[in-house]
Amino acid sequence: MRSKCDKIERLLSDYIDGTLSERQTTDVALHLRSCRSCKQEVVDLRKTNHLLKNFYVEPEASDTYYARFTTQLQQRIEQSAPTTLHQRFYAVLTRLGWHLFTQVHRRIERHRLSGFLSIRRHAFSYYILALTMTMLVVAPLLLHQVSPNDNGEHLIGRLYTAAKIRFFSGNPSATVQPTAMLAIKQDKTVAKPTDIRLNVSSGRTTETPAVDSNSDVWQFTDEPMTEGYIFTTLRENDSEAVPSVALDIDSELLAYAELPAQEAFNSRDVLTDSRYALLLLKGIDAGQHAPQQYERKRSGFKGFSQKLLDVSPEILSISEVYDSREL
Amino acid sequence: MERTEALLIADLCEGDETALAPLVEKYKRMVYRLAMQITKNHADADDVMQETFIKVYRSIRTFQKDAAFETWLYRIAVNEALNFVKRRERRRESAFEAAEGEYETTTRYQAQTASDPHVHAEKAELRHYVTKAVNSLSLKHRTVVILHEFEGLTHAEIASILNCSEGTVRSRLHYARKKLRTLLKPYVDASNV
Repeated sequence: MRSKCDKIERLLSDYIDGTLSERQTTDVALHLRSCRSCKQEVVDLRKTNHLLKNFYVEPEASDTYYARFTTQLQQRIEQSAPTTLHQRFYAVLTRLGWHLFTQVHRRIERHRLSGFLSIRRHAFSYYILALTMTMLVVAPLLLHQVSPNDNGEHLIGRLYTAAKIRFFSGNPSATVQPTAMLAIKQDKTVAKPTDIRLNVSSGRTTETPAVDSNSDVWQFTDEPMTEGYIFTTLRENDSEAVPSVALDIDSELLAYAELPAQEAFNSRDVLTDSRYALLLLKGIDAGQHAPQQYERKRSGFKGFSQKLLDVSPEILSISEVYDSREL
Repeated sequence: MERTEALLIADLCEGDETALAPLVEKYKRMVYRLAMQITKNHADADDVMQETFIKVYRSIRTFQKDAAFETWLYRIAVNEALNFVKRRERRRESAFEAAEGEYETTTRYQAQTASDPHVHAEKAELRHYVTKAVNSLSLKHRTVVILHEFEGLTHAEIASILNCSEGTVRSRLHYARKKLRTLLKPYVDASNV
């Protein structure tokens, strides 16, 4: 009887959850009729569950904490996310180096110094550590060499201006009242863009005030855009004295969008219908750095840019291409 | 216009950082609750929260669209919290005792304040002891109890999150309940349910 009880007892938790098979449920139910001890066990487990469900206090934080958390998370993402290939490469190297360092450090502690000094035993660790440390020192120098701009500034860490355009209207069935929203990511380590131009319908150009450098999203306009285009350009300073080279590097033609006449852009899912905007990734500067910029930028928009570039020319076509120097 | 969760995930996959905020808003309380219950320390729970959402942001492209985002998030959060506790124990930080104290204070505070003013003191005491009993379970048992009893996940979902078999989940749940029954025996005996 005891062995039967042991077998049944293991099923009681599932029995009260109702997750046993029909046959097992019947077996347990039959056993409970004849075994007072197991029956009491079921009663106790049910009571325990009742106590848990009704009296357990779940931890909760204050709204102030959540607000602070959200801000900190956003800052951390902005500051720490590696964006360029070089940054990612360097981040991986750093992580690998740190991991190896902690591993070796742990071994030193574990085996004391004498065990660790057995070169033959830990030759591989020594090798990897040495290689990583070398790369950590050499990589920034190498990267500095590959991408200096005309001013001699290396481009490591610079996130090229990225734009994404969305059109939508609040009511899918309403006539076209889309708004344009432009999200711009910027590198906090370089000069902040201070001037953004928006051109909506018929070539009308609007100057926006200097942007809030702490924000990476700007709502430009709520003007109807049944037909037209939007483009942006950034300048490093809102000044005529900006060197043309600097302007060129940061002022690629970013985005171009043309809406088919009488077509409503109802929601974001039009992207998959190829009825969307075209993000034109074009290096204005015809100099030697342009291809690199194009590649990097394109990789930053992997997926998104591809979808946009797949847009059929009957639906969306490039009517004009602007050069930032003409603006 | 409010974007659906599927759209937010698609946007995040395409590098739209603004899509993260609504997801954080929706799931922050769930992640905090889990992290706090597993780590038993507010500061650690905060770290787990950060790491969880950073991981979501960085790994969103690996998320399979036909899977449930919530379960995926559970997996990340639970594993982050478990790894955090394991690392902490490896480092043998003395902060652990302080941590428990902190959580105790939190739950006790809530037990007293969250209830109606007219609720009898006995109920407040019961809340305190039930919460304490759950917190005293081993890490493995506590995690399964939290996910099953309070988060309402099935055995299969828990097994997937913890990367173990359903049998293991059932077994842990069974032993956890037995342990809780023993810890709460006076209250179980007095209960009329």
